[in-house]
Amino acid sequence: MTPRRILVVEDNPLNLKLVRDVLQFAGYDVIEAQSGEEGLRAAREDPPDLVLMDLQLPGIDGTETLRRLRQGPLGRDVPVVAVTAFAMAEDRARASLAGFDGYVEKPISVRELPGQIEAFLDGRVV
Amino acid sequence: MVADPSERSSRTTRITRDSSRQFQELRDARHQWAASREILAALGRAVDNPGQVLDTVLEYAARLCGAHAVQLFLLDGDVFRVERVSGDTPEAYRAYLLDHPIARSRSSTVGRAAEDMRTNQIADVLSDAEYGRHDLQKLTGFRTLLSTPMILQDEVVGVLSMWRTDVKPFDDRERELLEEFAAQGAIALRLESRGAELASKVGQLEALREVGEAVGSSLDRDEVLDRIVSNAVRLTGTDGGSIMEYDESGDSFHVRAASGSSPDLVEQLRAITIDRGSTLVGRTALERKPLEVPDLAQAELDPHLEILFRDGWRSVLAVPLLRGDRMVGVLVIRRRTVGTFPPEVSELLQGFATQSALAIVNARLFRELQTKTKELEIASQHKSDFLASMSHELRTPLNAVIGFSEVLLDRMFGEINERQDEYLRDILNSGRHLLELLNEILDLSKVEAGQMVLEPSTFGVGSALEYTLKMVRERATQHAITVTVDVADGVDTVVADELRFKQVVLNLLSNAVKFTPDGGSVSVRAYREGTDLVVTVADTGIGVPPEDQERIFESFQQGRRGAPKEEGTGLGLTLSRRIVGLFGGRLWLKSTPGSGSTFGFSVPGLPEREDEVASPERDKLPVVVLVDDDRASLDLLSVYLDGSGTRVLRARDGVEALEQIRRVPPVAVVLDIKLPRLDGWQVLAELKADPATAAIPVVIASVVDDRPRGLAEGADEYLLKPIRRDELVDALRRLGALGESS
Repeated sequence: MTPRRILVVEDNPLNLKLVRDVLQFAGYDVIEAQSGEEGLRAAREDPPDLVLMDLQLPGIDGTETLRRLRQGPLGRDVPVVAVTAFAMAEDRARASLAGFDGYVEKPISVRELPGQIEAFLDGRVV
Repeated sequence: MVADPSERSSRTTRITRDSSRQFQELRDARHQWAASREILAALGRAVDNPGQVLDTVLEYAARLCGAHAVQLFLLDGDVFRVERVSGDTPEAYRAYLLDHPIARSRSSTVGRAAEDMRTNQIADVLSDAEYGRHDLQKLTGFRTLLSTPMILQDEVVGVLSMWRTDVKPFDDRERELLEEFAAQGAIALRLESRGAELASKVGQLEALREVGEAVGSSLDRDEVLDRIVSNAVRLTGTDGGSIMEYDESGDSFHVRAASGSSPDLVEQLRAITIDRGSTLVGRTALERKPLEVPDLAQAELDPHLEILFRDGWRSVLAVPLLRGDRMVGVLVIRRRTVGTFPPEVSELLQGFATQSALAIVNARLFRELQTKTKELEIASQHKSDFLASMSHELRTPLNAVIGFSEVLLDRMFGEINERQDEYLRDILNSGRHLLELLNEILDLSKVEAGQMVLEPSTFGVGSALEYTLKMVRERATQHAITVTVDVADGVDTVVADELRFKQVVLNLLSNAVKFTPDGGSVSVRAYREGTDLVVTVADTGIGVPPEDQERIFESFQQGRRGAPKEEGTGLGLTLSRRIVGLFGGRLWLKSTPGSGSTFGFSVPGLPEREDEVASPERDKLPVVVLVDDDRASLDLLSVYLDGSGTRVLRARDGVEALEQIRRVPPVAVVLDIKLPRLDGWQVLAELKADPATAAIPVVIASVVDDRPRGLAEGADEYLLKPIRRDELVDALRRLGALGESS
């Protein structure tokens, strides 16, 4: 079975590297994007199986990127998961209102992230 | 990194303190208005009995100034003889004082007040070398003395004097209050000495009372001043008048209110600047006594008088408006006819002057506080915006610190040696600690900015407690600390914000585990108190010394709680207390050094229950029902009754109060008047109409000042807010609701 592709949209290079390394270690293919625009481009060129997206991005933000992804390259079926800060109930509420399929909390847990991603991919978490 | 947040948070604390001091001042000012209004109302009721006026003056002075006793001395030849005494004074002292009057000399505060014709305070008689009445001191034990002269027509006729038996100087407000009482007392003295003039004076006092009520009830300065000046003109039988406010920055006077004046005249008066140097108004202010011009045609006219003269006015009387030593303005009365003003007119106007000064000062204070409150709100908003963005900026790099440490610790990319493992754990723990700190700073700033929104839901108390227990289990096991949870019968679900509830419990619980030595125990209990859920967390740690028991609730103050095994953030307790406050409950600490601490908090929101399940020791206690719609008042009254050997049940409105009282008949009811659904009067009427409840003593505790009605409708005691602990306890004791020893 070919590895599944995860598009990670995250503007902070260190966090991007961390998520990439952890997901690669867990056996995923990782596509990196540092902005919403880059994410849209990457999704068009190489459609992912799941998108992990920070909410606060330079340029077009996470919510707007999600909207454009849904209208264009991704359609409805690919899960898009928001990365939100802990203790930011508003952020979480906003994320679910905006139509994200779920969220993972910052700081992301190295030990839990692969399992969380797998659950989203399997559709176990709605 | 650590220095930054802590510095910011201390600023947070400072801003909070500033704002609480501002609110304290505003509250003090309000209390003072209430006090003025109260005394004026009492004087109005006692107006046909001058002796009663004096008693009222003494009684209120003692109560409102927090004095142990107040006494009135009258000048008799060259000595002051005691005329009336209020408060708690030994009988032997009164008799002794009658035989040993006070000389008009510097050996006493009474003598000094008379000699200087101004208020005199001795902070501690035992350290005042000149003080010469140690005979009186020995009989009463007084330490701090304050005296103010009672002046009629520039002569000292008496002295009002009060004392405290502890060394605690009277502050400016108390001093001003006593001065006001002295002024009222002087009028009463005059009434007493001149029976024939009584009738007209009654009218004057009533007018003063009306004015006093206006001053107390309205913050609209111009409206109050309009009423004052029109009453002054009416009662003195003159034709017109105005009130000028002194503007310190411009050192000049401005017209604020006028009566008996055409719009054209008012406009002209408003247009000019009356300076302090060369005008009648200015001289009145400088000399601090009434000045008159009996015939404007014969006088040298300043610009103000010039306008009046051209408008047809012929004689003018100006009275200074003073507040303590401060010049506030001038009250001017005028006639269209020539002639001097009788002394009674000038004397009467001084009563109006006092009220005008009070109105102006109140309005200024209020404006100032409004501005400052606004500024503080803006500062506070900036602060929380700043904190929100700062914590976001700090959190992002922390994610990397924590995440990469975990990656390495999990050997994702190969083996690491023992020392590397240890250092990585240090990095990871420090990172987590910083993150916790950030979250708490952010939460605290949200609470302070009023931006923390609670999301109440119904959840199981037991499972919420188990959840938090799980979070500390690992650590407790490591240190062989036993942790137990006990949820009392009758506690099932509670309505509150579950996330915040868990946050508070977790904070208390992790503190308890942190500060308990290896092998100790921590027990968590949840039980019901009325409709409050109470959660306590008790540990067998070293305890908190009494002097630190309040301090540890302040930010960054955990240091001295012994040697912690691991640093806490120092914000957890502050935050927990604030969150519990948002719930409408309170958080407290009971601790004995050496035998552990118990932190507890209450959360309203347990479902009502028909019959209280027996809790043997509490159920034997007599019940006192507190009824108030304001939770802060309820909390305060409850605290007053802590340790009084009673069980306090609360009700927030009249209907709830009646239900509560009928369910568990109390030994006393403490009842507010302004209540939702049924007000206090209706509750009182219902209680008295029902034979089952008619005998239950009722203490009214309200801002509504209507003792006669309260007593007439069956209340046993009437307390005016703000209420002190001893007032409440004494009242309940008199009713037999409390034991003597408590």
